[in-house]
Amino acid sequence: MKKLSITSLFISLVISMQLGGVGVANASDILIKNARIVDGSERGQNELTDILVKGSMIVGLGSGLSAPQDGRVIDANGRPVSPGLFNADTQLGIVELGSVAGTVDSSTSNENITASLQVSDAFNPSSVAVTYNRSLGITHSLIQPSNGTGIFAGSAAVVKLSNSGNIVVKKAAMVVSLGQAGSELAGGSRAAAMSLLREAIEDARDYSKNRDSYASGSRRDYSLSRHDLDALVEVVQRRQPLLVRVERSADIERVLEFAREQKIALILSGASEGWRIADKIAEAKVPVIFDPINNLPSSYETLGSRLDNARLLHDAGVKLMFTGMGWQNTHNAYLVRQSAGNAVANGLPYNVAIQAITSNPAQIFGLPGYGQIKVGAEATLVLWSGDPLEVMSNPDLVLIDGQEYSLESRATRLRDRYYQRAIK
Amino acid sequence: MPSEKPSDSDESSSLSPFSSTYLAPQAPATVIRGATLLTGTGQQLDNADILFSDGKITALGSEVKAPAEAVEINGVGLWVTPGIIDVHSHVGVYSNPAVRAHSDGNEAVAPATAKVWAEHSVWPQDPNFEKALAGGVTTAQILPGSANLFGGRGVTLKNVPSVTMMGMKFPDAPHSLKMACGENPKRVYGEKGGPGTRMGNMAGYRTAWIAAKAYDKSWSEYEEKLAKGDKSAEAPGRDLEMETLRGVLKGDIKIHNHCYRADEMANMIELSKEFGYKITAFHHAVEAYKIAPLLAENDICAVVWADWWGFKQEAYDMIRENAALIELAKGCAIIHSDDETQIQRLPQEVGKAMAAANRMGMNLTPAQVIKWITSNSAKSIGLDDRIGSLKTGMNADVVLWSGNPLSVYSKADKVWIDGVLRFDRSAPELKHTSDFNLGIITPAGDRP
Repeated sequence: MKKLSITSLFISLVISMQLGGVGVANASDILIKNARIVDGSERGQNELTDILVKGSMIVGLGSGLSAPQDGRVIDANGRPVSPGLFNADTQLGIVELGSVAGTVDSSTSNENITASLQVSDAFNPSSVAVTYNRSLGITHSLIQPSNGTGIFAGSAAVVKLSNSGNIVVKKAAMVVSLGQAGSELAGGSRAAAMSLLREAIEDARDYSKNRDSYASGSRRDYSLSRHDLDALVEVVQRRQPLLVRVERSADIERVLEFAREQKIALILSGASEGWRIADKIAEAKVPVIFDPINNLPSSYETLGSRLDNARLLHDAGVKLMFTGMGWQNTHNAYLVRQSAGNAVANGLPYNVAIQAITSNPAQIFGLPGYGQIKVGAEATLVLWSGDPLEVMSNPDLVLIDGQEYSLESRATRLRDRYYQRAIK
Repeated sequence: MPSEKPSDSDESSSLSPFSSTYLAPQAPATVIRGATLLTGTGQQLDNADILFSDGKITALGSEVKAPAEAVEINGVGLWVTPGIIDVHSHVGVYSNPAVRAHSDGNEAVAPATAKVWAEHSVWPQDPNFEKALAGGVTTAQILPGSANLFGGRGVTLKNVPSVTMMGMKFPDAPHSLKMACGENPKRVYGEKGGPGTRMGNMAGYRTAWIAAKAYDKSWSEYEEKLAKGDKSAEAPGRDLEMETLRGVLKGDIKIHNHCYRADEMANMIELSKEFGYKITAFHHAVEAYKIAPLLAENDICAVVWADWWGFKQEAYDMIRENAALIELAKGCAIIHSDDETQIQRLPQEVGKAMAAANRMGMNLTPAQVIKWITSNSAKSIGLDDRIGSLKTGMNADVVLWSGNPLSVYSKADKVWIDGVLRFDRSAPELKHTSDFNLGIITPAGDRP
């Protein structure tokens, strides 16, 4: 994963030079005074800090910092400041309206394109879903493809909800569905999905060593198209983790074993029954993406689903990343904080919940400048009206790389039109 | 449509089959002292007591006198609300696990199926019921889905464990009729003979109401003859589809109309006037805020999500202040779940909507907005004389919360239905779990 970090660092430097344009206030230095910093690290509950932003970076943290020349001073007055929030499973910018096919780019029915689909190729930073969620505190997301015809959905990307330079990690993870979804895609058996996965990985490995003979037509046939194999080479060479959607504890265990045998970097997604084998997931050092609000047996593979899954996984030492809330995880991606808040209500330590929507994905996907509030970090921050995990709080200021983004959205434009009529 | 002769009446609710068999067990009198009460009538009472006995609320205020044998609960630091009411749920008709065998919510074989009753699909062992109870939900209106112009009758259930649907059925609660506008019917039937357009939808409703008017007339004439003692009067043929529509025309059955767009809601209001029926509520009314005065004028509740949007074209214009703008127009705002995850935390949905409204410039309080999931909800299902507010004489459907119920951190600590403690977070031994959950994780381990 080291290679990813270097690439993304480079990309973020480029972004900071490119910013500007629609929805962005004029760049100026900003001093946020008396903020309560909420970034998942241990700090005094009532400790207030000044945050000095110059350009795209945080350049000062402390008390009594002096205001920058030509800059703005905002008194947080004890309000919290967190990193911009990260939702680890959305389709922001690749789905505008779920039922309007022309606006949905999250999957394909083309059988020759499975692993080679890259959602970053379709990302639309002007999507109303993007600008809306940004105005409500989301600045980053792992956008994930849906399955088309095969068990491989394609490459998920880390995007930044800024106006330009949005693709932070183009090939952040290769998404594959096992379990019940995999079974349906593989012809009706979990075992068939495992078989397809094994075959694809073996083919990719063979192909990576024999590209020339394959190109000249003297190598055996493979189970996938050349482009799909190329995409999977990234996985077998450990340049990209395999993100496996799986729920049932026995299925999770099988995936852990497979990844160990194949020496593949793994991320679990879903893992409703993860708590049943939390120790094994922790031991394998595999992070998990899920919505901690899920507690229902919506299928036979999620029978063990429970509200304290997050707490139990954390107690065992598993690193968490959150999505949510519920099936509205794209259009209301910002509600990942409601899911996180409910995890806290069900026993997860507060700072761990914050890490799951900030620094954990930053660390796992290699974004060294994002996810914590420290000198030298990107000034990607949200000033909140109150506790960011509380449903009654809202952003008062959103900065991405030091640039202020408007709190206005299409929704507030509609709101204001009818509110003004009503109070006239 | 097959018809048959009635025995002695048609759809008179008192004589109808499938009546409730629910009876509240005996329970001790209970008094909660020193709590913050949101009454559901717009009041917040701080440091207040509430007493209930024999299934009814008997007193509330400060220093309430309780009988010696009453269970005393220290409510200091805790909050009390009426039992939460969800007027749009599919629990039991789209049960979990969501396998095809449990998909019993849409009779999507013809666009008009007013004849079907959601209660005949309800599976009382749906493991979602107890999760909703843990979220303070004491009453839920279970509706058919929205594939059809006329989806069928809805039923109101008490959230109590029972092996039969009748054991959950709210005694003497009116039926509702689910109707649906817009994208869903035209999508489902566009290639199955229609309707395939919104104008086709409208023609479908009107055709049905014309038939219902004729049916109503023939039955009314017959009933009039009977009333005059005409023994030779012959009953018209009985028709389940028409019985439901006639029930609406007579005012016995309440219209709960799935409808997103403002312009379509306005058309539906015209339609109701053409045929002389009343619309009680528009559900999923994403654009209700655009016609808030019209809805208030016509005494129609707007039943909305706090923030869902974007899953289809007609759900594009969502604003988080929708319920608040209905409130501003002095209308009837209700937050519903339509979802087995949201039903577990409806007060949080209200909290989000309140906070957004206050950012816009309103000054709503928990005391006002709790109505959106209690008294307004009760009104829309015709039960505001029994549930939805903390007043003496009302059913003792009461929730004790660990804090402000609108907060993400608060949980229902105790839930009473008709004065009977049905959920207690601190007493897991009291918990009743669905048959489905028993021994399903391990032989000795139930579903969590």
